[in-house]
Amino acid sequence: MAHSIVMPALEMAQESGKLIAWRKKEGETIAKGEPLLEVETDKAVVEVESPADGILAGVKAHEGDVIPVGQTIAWIVQPGEKPPAESEDMATGRRMDAKAAAPAAAAPAKPSAPSGPSATARISPKARRLAKEHGIDLAHVRGSGGDGEILAEDILALVNASASQGGVPGAAKTAQAEGRATETLTQVARLMAERTTQSWTTAPHFFVTRDADATALGAAREKFGPAIERERGVRLSHTDLLIAAVAHALEKHPRVNASWRGSGIHLNPEVNVGVAMAVDDGVVTAVIPAANRKSLGEIAVLRRDLAERARAGKLRPADIAGATFTISNLGMYQVDAFTAIIVPPQAAILAVGSISDRVVAVNGQPAVRPMMSLTLSSDHRVLDGARAALFLNDLVASIVEPKTLLQ
Amino acid sequence: MPEVAVRELTMAEAVREALAEEMRRDPRVFIMGEDVAEAGTPFKVLSGMVEEFGKSRVIDTPISEPGFTGIAVGAAMTGMRPVVDIMFGDFLTLVMDQMVNQAAKVHYMSGGAWKVPMVLRTTLGGGRRSAAQHSQSLHAWMSHVPGLKVVLPSTPYDAKGLMKTAIRDDNPVVFFEDKMMFKVKGPVPVEDYAIPFGVADVKREGEDITIVATSSMVPVALGAAKMLEEIGISAEVVDPRTTWPLDEKTLIESAKKTSRAIVVDEGYERYGVTAEIASVIATGAFYDLDAPVKRIGAMHVPVPFSPPLEDATIPTEQLLFETAKKMCKR
Repeated sequence: MAHSIVMPALEMAQESGKLIAWRKKEGETIAKGEPLLEVETDKAVVEVESPADGILAGVKAHEGDVIPVGQTIAWIVQPGEKPPAESEDMATGRRMDAKAAAPAAAAPAKPSAPSGPSATARISPKARRLAKEHGIDLAHVRGSGGDGEILAEDILALVNASASQGGVPGAAKTAQAEGRATETLTQVARLMAERTTQSWTTAPHFFVTRDADATALGAAREKFGPAIERERGVRLSHTDLLIAAVAHALEKHPRVNASWRGSGIHLNPEVNVGVAMAVDDGVVTAVIPAANRKSLGEIAVLRRDLAERARAGKLRPADIAGATFTISNLGMYQVDAFTAIIVPPQAAILAVGSISDRVVAVNGQPAVRPMMSLTLSSDHRVLDGARAALFLNDLVASIVEPKTLLQ
Repeated sequence: MPEVAVRELTMAEAVREALAEEMRRDPRVFIMGEDVAEAGTPFKVLSGMVEEFGKSRVIDTPISEPGFTGIAVGAAMTGMRPVVDIMFGDFLTLVMDQMVNQAAKVHYMSGGAWKVPMVLRTTLGGGRRSAAQHSQSLHAWMSHVPGLKVVLPSTPYDAKGLMKTAIRDDNPVVFFEDKMMFKVKGPVPVEDYAIPFGVADVKREGEDITIVATSSMVPVALGAAKMLEEIGISAEVVDPRTTWPLDEKTLIESAKKTSRAIVVDEGYERYGVTAEIASVIATGAFYDLDAPVKRIGAMHVPVPFSPPLEDATIPTEQLLFETAKKMCKR
């Protein structure tokens, strides 16, 4: 049986992916799980593995092509088999076999995604009419229906969003594709622009800041760092300690580990901590899954691995999907404090400043202590000031007294 | 409904009151059927009628549906206004020629010279453990034939008002009563009123989904709407009240408003009333629909005698709730 290779959708908002490289040539034999192609997606360059054993055939996308998600770009066939004839039709993007997209869409990567790619999804008559009336290009609309159908509310959401942004997104992108803007932006940069705009204009942000005495954090690093370095070969960083502290605090505050869905609040069963990492053309958020159940050593090893692969542009789909909360640390840039933009549909993001000596009052006397500022940006549809403050309280308590993290 | 008359009648009492009032008003109106006189029908709808109007106007017949229905057609053509009682809707099969080829066609084929102002009262609905030959809802058959009007009341108020219109109508009217709803009570005004045919009634207003329900399915739809309300879905329940004439406008307007519609009817789903109504909505509201119109009817099997099996073949509140919930993406 021939398996179709489709441009994978690795993020909900992804519309197209750029084919960076084929790892196999047409006619070459490939095993299931072997790297087949490299795709530049929303956030990173990712390797896509072959969904089956067989021979690469019917390749219809070239390196450098930008391809709508869900479109068939090649087939894995058995010896003597030809790629199916209907592959031409699939390429038009009108219909898509959900099964064909499944292997590439990396199912375990994003269990909470409500629907698959919708560039090829069905459209309700009402949605089609509304799109026409508002001049929205349906190829750019993500369907929220049970099977990814584009529904009226998806169009209305775009219309409403455009009312506040001064342009219809779908229409704007069509124009953009013909103009110059896309030429100058990489996918990562363009998506960063879109996602932050979407977050900032739709999620009502508010900010709560706490300063924490990092003396104990430094001590913990000195105390446990050498053992971890000896056993696992990685240096324990402040970020690692923070990931552990945040994961434990999230466990106690499920609302902070929640997602805003159109219809309400979804409490995420897993605590997957995303860590924002700077790369050449923007920011990538790599994910430490189930961080609340990992030891400090495990976190340190995983974060270091992710950071190295992020820098090399070699993150895999699973590495960047499924975060339920994000930490953004600009401490290494000597930033005292800052506010971060929430990564939708997460409810909050923690902005971490540098640890620096400051004069603070200790027992009524001025004292010099290594201090750090923590600023939580929260989505007010999910959280309120008191909840955010209680979360920060627990987080700061575990930084000041980090014993609990280390068991 | 006028507020002065706060009084509750059962469905059976409402039908009886309509018949009695019309019989007092118009001496041409008479009742004919099996067990209609002393017995007052097995469902006691006509209790007391023979006492008031006598055996010449409340006529017990032998078990002979084709015969007495044929008599009624002739009586109607020659100036009377008969009300025929067919005990179980299943027995409509026996009077198809009288109704379909005679009553429905005479006015047309005589160039308007003859009219057939008769009412055929009968029952529909399962749930009474009456097995496959006494549980069917065959109103789709009658709705299919040009020349017949078909009435499906779901409340005592509707039953009385529609029965009056049926008796006063100069065309043959088939009037279906749900045999499980005869004891259901509801407010009925004391004063005279009639409900015109072809006017649907919005039994409950809503925003998110339209449930079109007929007869026995109206209370089911209202129950499902209540369940839906608890999960934040606002369902509108529309009762067409007559399948012919059909108030297409109200059905389409409701579906346009909510963007989604389910049609539920106790007749067999295949080729049923739900198909016709769904088609009307799909055509009229196409550009305002956000989901395909769904139909729910009785399962395509003879209605079983076994209670658990019978219950499985008839649409339930739970099924309607689940279907609506899915359509609203909850």
